[in-house]
Amino acid sequence: MGKASFVVRRSLQLVVTFWAVGTVLFGLFRLMPGDPTSYIVSSSMTPEARQAIIASYGLNEPMHIQYIKFLQNIVVLDFGQSFHSNAPVSEVIATYLPNTLVLMLTAFVLAYAAGITLGVLSGWYRGSRFERTAVIVALVARSVPTFYVGLLVLWIFGAGFGVIPMSGMTSAGTANLSFFAMITSVDFLQHLAAPALVLAYYFMGYPLLIMRSSMLEVLSEDFIDVCRAKGLKERTIMFKHAARNALLPIVTAAAIALGYAVGGSVLIETVFAWPGIGREMVRAVLRRDFPVAQGTFMVLAATIIILNFIADLAYGYLDPRVTYD
Amino acid sequence: MSLLEVEDLEVYYETEQGPAQAVDGVSFELEEGENLGIVGESGCGKTTLAKSIIGILPDAGYINAGSINFKGDDLTEMNGAQRRRLKWEEISMIAQSAMNSLDPVYTIREQIVEAIETHRPGTGRVESNEIVTEMFELVGLDPERADDYPHQFSGGMRQRAMIAMSLALDPSLVLADEPTTALDVIMQDQILKRISQIQDEINSSMLVITHDVSVVAETCDRVIVMYAGQIAEEGPVEDIFNNPYHPYSIGLKRAFPNIRMENQDLLSIAGYPPELIDPPEGCRFAERCPMATDRCREEVPSEHEMGDLRTYCHYAEDIDQELRPYADDPETWENTVAAKNAGAQAGDD
Repeated sequence: MGKASFVVRRSLQLVVTFWAVGTVLFGLFRLMPGDPTSYIVSSSMTPEARQAIIASYGLNEPMHIQYIKFLQNIVVLDFGQSFHSNAPVSEVIATYLPNTLVLMLTAFVLAYAAGITLGVLSGWYRGSRFERTAVIVALVARSVPTFYVGLLVLWIFGAGFGVIPMSGMTSAGTANLSFFAMITSVDFLQHLAAPALVLAYYFMGYPLLIMRSSMLEVLSEDFIDVCRAKGLKERTIMFKHAARNALLPIVTAAAIALGYAVGGSVLIETVFAWPGIGREMVRAVLRRDFPVAQGTFMVLAATIIILNFIADLAYGYLDPRVTYD
Repeated sequence: MSLLEVEDLEVYYETEQGPAQAVDGVSFELEEGENLGIVGESGCGKTTLAKSIIGILPDAGYINAGSINFKGDDLTEMNGAQRRRLKWEEISMIAQSAMNSLDPVYTIREQIVEAIETHRPGTGRVESNEIVTEMFELVGLDPERADDYPHQFSGGMRQRAMIAMSLALDPSLVLADEPTTALDVIMQDQILKRISQIQDEINSSMLVITHDVSVVAETCDRVIVMYAGQIAEEGPVEDIFNNPYHPYSIGLKRAFPNIRMENQDLLSIAGYPPELIDPPEGCRFAERCPMATDRCREEVPSEHEMGDLRTYCHYAEDIDQELRPYADDPETWENTVAAKNAGAQAGDD
């Protein structure tokens, strides 16, 4: 079977996965304790007015009708309107998702560049002091929660030395710039630095440890001996042959980790008051703002699902032994 | 001047219990165009010897003493860059395992071209490809398949590809470490014939390292029998196989089936090779040797010339009378310290 039919089959699986996630979400929010309508109607309203409002959101319909409408709307990316702000959910997502992506991608690229490089080096220089230090750094990175490190950084560098801004993405009173102008402004980069580095440090441990053990495995292979016997330079053997082979397990791990990174942005966004989608999701749940919570959940789930799909495809390009059947 | 002269070579591995003397005082010469076999059981130091000659000892291994003279230059005195220039260009290798000796993520062509471009930076793409085609034809592979990845090749094809790569730069010396162990007998035969043929054509020397004496019989002119890091006996292939003088060679010969002798009982030599971390004084084979005396346990045997053979045994002169007539009798081989220990242990159980 060829690559094309593989893509088609995986895409079908993708649709089924989305449907399952959607169904779970639909059920989850309706099983949650508390009446969402209490947020949009008040007891001072007349029963007629209350009914009218509930009907305008479609909440008076039988469950199965609500479910079918919910699925129909997902297909056209219509997640409804926020109970809280009345704005369309897609607009809410469009506002907050890019903020999360900028933060996460920055942290992620930094973390994987550093983690992979350190992992390659610590595998290559096995038994050295460098390797021992790198492993300790990675283990600490993996085991200390980001919100703790985040608070520590804020306390020391924000409150203590005053060298980083305490919260948010931009300083109050900054001109309302376009998104691109905003993310390239110095003020934004100053706000980005602390949360991105804290996250990068947390993410870095994983690729470092995987890359190290993967390197150790590859270095014991016979073809590495042959590379040495061929008289290749150390650096060529290390990167072109050993690291290139050791990279394979990282690809899947990285795609999945990126998905979780976007989904798990809640804590760091809360600590640094970063107006991202994770923080917005939590706020929506607390407000019982069904549509926004559903929409943000759906987006985060989609990120994970799609990145997994990309990892599967990327693997085929990196490893000629992978066949799609 | 010989192509390769190894003198009193000692290669040790660092371990927590002290150095393991993997190769201990090995000397031999290899002439241009000659094929020399090194046989011995696993762990006798033959692969370590090969790795120290080509210069790919693992980190824990080091050359403790001795010299490796290649075309008159001592390889052990060279720095990394000098050494690297010689690799593949002058000394190449056919690696032990056909399955894993090629990098799985590059095509065979890329891997051969890499060797060419590393050592001959001026070589153009066209010229490199011509070499690849030539080498593929030489080993009997279809040149059109040079752009395949290793996993698309069968075991035998991979080993041919490995041989093609090892010959790409016309090296003077090829180290073949178990060149055919991973292959079935028919493929083994084909590959060995092809290797001999190619060698006649390009007149390179080869060091064949194997535990399979039939491989040596088919490809080599001379053979070294190694035991526990040392040379036990060395000489022309026919003499070693037909008329050896070292008790270990004699025992080894009887441990292999012979096609002309029906219903021959194979002998095994009781016991194991000694620990190399703190090896026994005297002859390392003493414990498993039916001829051993106290002298053997105290004094390292010196070289005895037995016709064309070099034999490291105190009693080489007495073998014809005292061991050879009884060598086929299993009882002879029960008369060793190792066999008695094994017997005593069995009795205890």
